[in-house]
Amino acid sequence: MEIAYYPGCSLHASSALYDAQCRDVLSRLGADLREIKDWNCCGATSAAKTNDFLAVAMPARNLGIADASGYAEMVIPCASCYSRTVLAQKALESDPDLREKINAELSEKIQGKIKLLSILDLLVDKAKSGEIGAKATKKLEGLRPACYYGCLQTRYPADIQITDNVENPQGMEMVCEALGAQAIDWSYKTDCCGASASVNDSDVAIRLMSNIQKDALARGANCFVTTCPMCQMNMDAYQGKAGAKYAIGESLPVYFITELIGVSMGIGTVELQLDRHFIEATELLRGLKLL
Amino acid sequence: MSSQTLTIETETAGSLAQEVAARSGQNLNACYQCRRCAAGCPVGDDTGVTPDRLIRMVLLGDREAALNNLLVWQCVACYTCGTRCPNNIHTARITETLKQMVKEQHLEPMTPKVAYFHNAFLTSTSHFGRLNEMEFMGIYEIKNAQNELKKGGGIKAIIAELKNQMQLGKKMMKLKRMHFSIEKIKGLAEIKRLFAKAKK
Repeated sequence: MEIAYYPGCSLHASSALYDAQCRDVLSRLGADLREIKDWNCCGATSAAKTNDFLAVAMPARNLGIADASGYAEMVIPCASCYSRTVLAQKALESDPDLREKINAELSEKIQGKIKLLSILDLLVDKAKSGEIGAKATKKLEGLRPACYYGCLQTRYPADIQITDNVENPQGMEMVCEALGAQAIDWSYKTDCCGASASVNDSDVAIRLMSNIQKDALARGANCFVTTCPMCQMNMDAYQGKAGAKYAIGESLPVYFITELIGVSMGIGTVELQLDRHFIEATELLRGLKLL
Repeated sequence: MSSQTLTIETETAGSLAQEVAARSGQNLNACYQCRRCAAGCPVGDDTGVTPDRLIRMVLLGDREAALNNLLVWQCVACYTCGTRCPNNIHTARITETLKQMVKEQHLEPMTPKVAYFHNAFLTSTSHFGRLNEMEFMGIYEIKNAQNELKKGGGIKAIIAELKNQMQLGKKMMKLKRMHFSIEKIKGLAEIKRLFAKAKK
């Protein structure tokens, strides 16, 4: 099956490893990602905080391109890009004047056809159908991930229906189960890690992350797993700082969900780019004889 | 939690509430002060002002307080308040609106770094159509440094900030998470037109 794909800026830069993993892992699961042409930045949280028109108009151009691509569905792995694009699609649906105003500037007009999927939508389906379990030949015995959803995987500043539980989502746990990993139960899976504040308001960001780190450790997790490149980068780069400030002895590796699936499929460290983590991420897996 | 007493400004209350409600798309009048939002707000302890309090300021017409409080700037847009609100009020949309109003009225943002950060992000995006992480951080740090200098002699603060970011940059480079190529989209003219339209 071919599916349209919007990587977003982060997956073409600091989280390029996530882009490579998504393409590889999803293709092995039967979904070939076709990157839409000439896409632009979704505007992220910054557009929403600066200008309401741009917050819709920037993802709208990508929606027009996706509509013209001929594919029925588009997957957006970055939680922030996904959230902004879903919100834009909803705003355009309910406001024909706005749609017209934006369409006037676009060469590929928004038609409202494309169905948007988060990476978790896709992976949960593949876990339920047994496809992940069948391809995950190396069971992740001994891995106890704290599944971390962050903010944008489940919460939207508008009425957007999600299939998972908002306060206690289970999608990632379901994928982990298919991989043979023992996801822990914990309290901070949807709390904010402060990624958007890590540069401009770091005291707040570090405090938010310390709560997440403390709870995961207290519950016996030996790693985090996430779908969001903003969360991954923030928690990977700054857990040490939070640890130093709040006397937390340990930092846990932060895996993208595609890394755990990849390891379970037998894909190697270099191909998965597991050596690009701030917090060493291969040692734990080697200790468990998974690499 | 601030114990400051809020009083209604009868002259301005209606107009401020209407403006914020219309722009944010949120029905502020539905707030019955249950404070479920306050209980879940991850930055409430830092800001002193919680979402319920902010809504009250707007409803009572206290423009000064509504535009000058830390919640407007330190809100991390986690959307917990709105998701839990029994009356479906998304205060994160209200903080977005208030930030935009501060900008339009050329007022000094209470936490300038937050404003610089988001402005720098959009500036970089408008140059290439995609975010260039290095240019973005460059614009942000320059703006920050200028502000520190304006405030008077903040050289030490500037050096500390740059040192901090350089540490991260160096580590990113080592891990091959820093990318030097520039991705410029072909349809940049469309983005420029959308940015122009946004200003109107």
